[in-house]
Amino acid sequence: MAKIGVFICHCGENIGAKIDCTKLVSAMNDHPGVSVSVEYKYFCSDPGQENVKKAIREHNLTGVVVAACSPRMHEATFRKACAEAGLNPYLCEIANIREQCSWVHTDQDMATEKAIEITRSLIEKVKLNNELQPIEVPVTKRALVIGGGIAGIQAALDIANAGQEVVLVEREPSLGGHMAQLSETFPTLDCSQCIMTPRMVEAAQHPKIRLLTYSEVEQVEGFIGNFKVRIRQKSRYVDMKACTGCGDCIQKCPQKKISDEFDCNLGKRPAIYTPFAQAVPNIPVIDKEHCTFFKNGKCKVCQKVCETDAINFEMQDEFLELEIGAIVVATGFQIQNTAMYGEYGYGKYADVITGLQFERLASASGPTAGKIKRPSDGVEPETIVFIQCAGSRDPSKGVKYCSKICCMYTAKHAMLYAHKVHGGKAHVFYMDIRAAGKGYDEFTRRAIEEDEASYLRGRVSKVWKENGKLMVRGVDTLLGKPVEIAADMVVLATAITPQPDAKEFAKVVGIGCDEYGFYNEAHLKLRPVETATAGIFLAGACQSPKDIPDSVSQASACASKVIGLFSRDQLEREPVIAVNNESTCSGCWGCALACPYNAIEKKDILSRSGELIKRVAFINPGLCQGCGTCVTFCRSNSIDLAGFTEKQIFAEVMGL
Amino acid sequence: MSEPFEPKIVAFVCTYCTYAGADLAGTSRLKYPPNIRMVRLPCTGRISPMFILKALQKGADGVLVSGCHPGDCHFTHGNYHARRRWTVFRALLNFTGIPLERIRFSWISAAEGVKFAELISSLTEDIRKLGPFDQYKAMIHETETPVSL
Amino acid sequence: MSIQEQYRKRAAELLASGEVKIIIGYGAGSTPDRRRALFIRSADDASLLHVDAACDANLSGYLVSEGLLSDRKKVGIFLRPEGIRSVNILAAESQLDPLQIVIIGFNVENGSLAALQGSGVNDFSSLISTLKESRSTPEEQALIEKIEGMTPEERFAFWQAEFSKCIKCYACRQVCPMCYCKRCIVDNNQPQWVHTSSHTLGNFEWNLVRAFHLSGRCVECGGCDRACPVNIPLRLINRRMAQEVLDAFDHFSGMSHTQEPVLASFKKDDPETFIL
Repeated sequence: MAKIGVFICHCGENIGAKIDCTKLVSAMNDHPGVSVSVEYKYFCSDPGQENVKKAIREHNLTGVVVAACSPRMHEATFRKACAEAGLNPYLCEIANIREQCSWVHTDQDMATEKAIEITRSLIEKVKLNNELQPIEVPVTKRALVIGGGIAGIQAALDIANAGQEVVLVEREPSLGGHMAQLSETFPTLDCSQCIMTPRMVEAAQHPKIRLLTYSEVEQVEGFIGNFKVRIRQKSRYVDMKACTGCGDCIQKCPQKKISDEFDCNLGKRPAIYTPFAQAVPNIPVIDKEHCTFFKNGKCKVCQKVCETDAINFEMQDEFLELEIGAIVVATGFQIQNTAMYGEYGYGKYADVITGLQFERLASASGPTAGKIKRPSDGVEPETIVFIQCAGSRDPSKGVKYCSKICCMYTAKHAMLYAHKVHGGKAHVFYMDIRAAGKGYDEFTRRAIEEDEASYLRGRVSKVWKENGKLMVRGVDTLLGKPVEIAADMVVLATAITPQPDAKEFAKVVGIGCDEYGFYNEAHLKLRPVETATAGIFLAGACQSPKDIPDSVSQASACASKVIGLFSRDQLEREPVIAVNNESTCSGCWGCALACPYNAIEKKDILSRSGELIKRVAFINPGLCQGCGTCVTFCRSNSIDLAGFTEKQIFAEVMGL
Repeated sequence: MSEPFEPKIVAFVCTYCTYAGADLAGTSRLKYPPNIRMVRLPCTGRISPMFILKALQKGADGVLVSGCHPGDCHFTHGNYHARRRWTVFRALLNFTGIPLERIRFSWISAAEGVKFAELISSLTEDIRKLGPFDQYKAMIHETETPVSL
Repeated sequence: MSIQEQYRKRAAELLASGEVKIIIGYGAGSTPDRRRALFIRSADDASLLHVDAACDANLSGYLVSEGLLSDRKKVGIFLRPEGIRSVNILAAESQLDPLQIVIIGFNVENGSLAALQGSGVNDFSSLISTLKESRSTPEEQALIEKIEGMTPEERFAFWQAEFSKCIKCYACRQVCPMCYCKRCIVDNNQPQWVHTSSHTLGNFEWNLVRAFHLSGRCVECGGCDRACPVNIPLRLINRRMAQEVLDAFDHFSGMSHTQEPVLASFKKDDPETFIL
């Protein structure tokens, strides 16, 4: 005999002011099978939960319905309370009378009537709920970190230092990401490569880290603790074991005029190359697209000069299939192309450059060895105009969001310029100065006050060339006047955007992304590191624009999540899974074909003498995710879904 | 003129998208008519055609089936399977005389609280105009009428 | 030699050589114009076989009889093109191994008998492709269009009148080669999705579930329609659903023994104009 407890929450005024809770209570008290029905101001509070627990014990309840806010809010809370009172947590259901009733309806009588019906139908459901036990699945204690920028390196090192295995995948030939491209970093002005390269080396040499550069993740299957990942190792055409990194091939390559991506196309590189001098691993790759041999079938100079016979033009891509327990996605960002601002002249005038290009000019390892020179003629600029928000916070042409780091790096650029070119004049057009962060505001003030950057609050309307100068017309809104500046160089603080293939890659990994392609966290405030897919975490700018400290913090947070996950041999999973009735199954296998997780296997039913009686579907409880697609497919009604059984749904609908 | 007809509408929705979208309509304090009753399921893939028939048997004047947009299914492709079933079952209902205006299908994401509220409003209004599903109710009535021997 | 003689000879050879252990064919029925299933295990009985325009039953359902194929031996069977399609579906749904089936195919066109060349399911694939392309039976089509031209209320009334006759004898299910489920959903009473009483609501639900479960699987052999003791025009529903899966998903049931079941597969660009 069912003994159901019904707990009706007022949620303060949220429910109480719209729904006649007393009427709801008495209606539920009259409902068959209900032992107790009570109301309370806040059932989610400690005393509220105590009331529920007390009622469970006193009335020896067999099921609980809490009529309150959405189950997405407090189902876990009340299920836990039930468990603490000795009732199986899956014997608790939530009737959503707040989000889907009191908050959305205006008529009190009808809202109350609806609340009664919703609660009643869940009472009918809960009468048929079964006690469920969490499912335990083994955890493969090996993490995959996708992306070898600072976020990925940090996550990999933290996980590896906790003693767990890590596979670190980077699609470029070297670790480093964008941070390796930077000159100095705000707010301390320490050299980016000086703090970055030791981390890169540490990651490459760590006994627990398997580094796969020039590799891409092509397929992710499985689920938390048990992912199967397919990785393509692109052929470098250089044998990594044989190569000593002497660099002779790079020196001798006759093809030297290829635009250098690492230098943001400000420099040139040969067809066999490492992206930068401190590359990790320090092993070159052949750029097949530009290599003379691959284009014309003749050359092989690199092969001739290589003393260790490391060059192999026959090399093929290789594929790895790895078992992985947790994944950290740290795929980083790109900067937005500013072609949409024709008036800024990017692409038209060689001396209109992006902030990232300025980083390369200012970098000691860059194309100008750290000297600020105009790309057009190599002359030192006397005046530079920096334009902030060249794409960010511009819903009409650029992106709606703030790219977060541009205020800081523009201040840094102005400073570096002042330090490197004495007497040089920096003008900064800005919309607002956003310098929230430790030492950040002090930093921008220093740029203005000590390094005498002139900050102009306003937008630039046009950049054009006149008498060898770049004329910048803008407005100083504080003066209320238009301004014209004759500059030698213009630097655009472009917006940070997701990687161009971010949306496709989200599908490969099985996570969500926003309209731009930034990956979605499970909860923006409370679960900013997790994704909606259990076992997959986010670090760095692939989630949203971030500076280095934020990226590193998030990476360490990811690592702690992964280490936490790996601290157990078994993982407990929700027991909402499909189960097949083998006696009624006809073995048509439609369910196996329909299952999104390949969780359904063939199982032979044998007689005692070992003869095959029939072959039925077996649903692997470790793989099943509980969507129920197979249940609906099954014509004979042999498959059922725990927690949402046919009987439960039938009762719920018939209870309406 | 009697009171306006208040239709009974049953919705079968997935918990990840449409149910969350309905919650968002609530947290945004949007308003829609109270005629809808939601049945929460893990995925549209779990929504059996039998549910629709049972809702009609319980006197529903309209049924809504809704889930995640194609490509957004939490379970990767439960909604693609659901879409095929709906196509077939809808054709069957249509051929046997269930007015399609009464059985509606939609994609509503967790972010589409506004779409949810607007859809429920327009759906309720449409079904109010159609009136009660008397033909089906007559059939239900027959099952409840005692046979005189 | 008449087709019947040829086929009796072929059946006798198959049994005599031991290639097949049994032949499922047609024998004399209770009246001179009727035929019923005949199972022969000896070449001597081949003379009892009949092949003519009166052989209308789709015998493929007998292939999934408990234990028939479990010894891995071959079975010969007389099949019309619909029956061959049924074998394909049964194979696609893992109910049989097509290599065990020796098909003795025939067709009836405009009342006259025609022999079909071939013996394995794959031998008939071009024939089935032709059937897909030249799919039309005008007599039924006119009635379907008439029903579709009705208002929903009229359609509902039409089918209520038909379904009210149903006595829930389940002959439609028993005769159907596709209704091989070990337990039919209607026999599941936990929960009782379908009313078993033969009132109109239960009848309506039963007929909808039956048609839904056959969508994309029915080959329109007409067995259920002929079996129905109260003459509910089940062929119309079957026909309409076959048309739906063909129009929406380009699915013609029983094209091959590797065809994916239409409701267990999908394409990302399946039509969805009706979804809001």
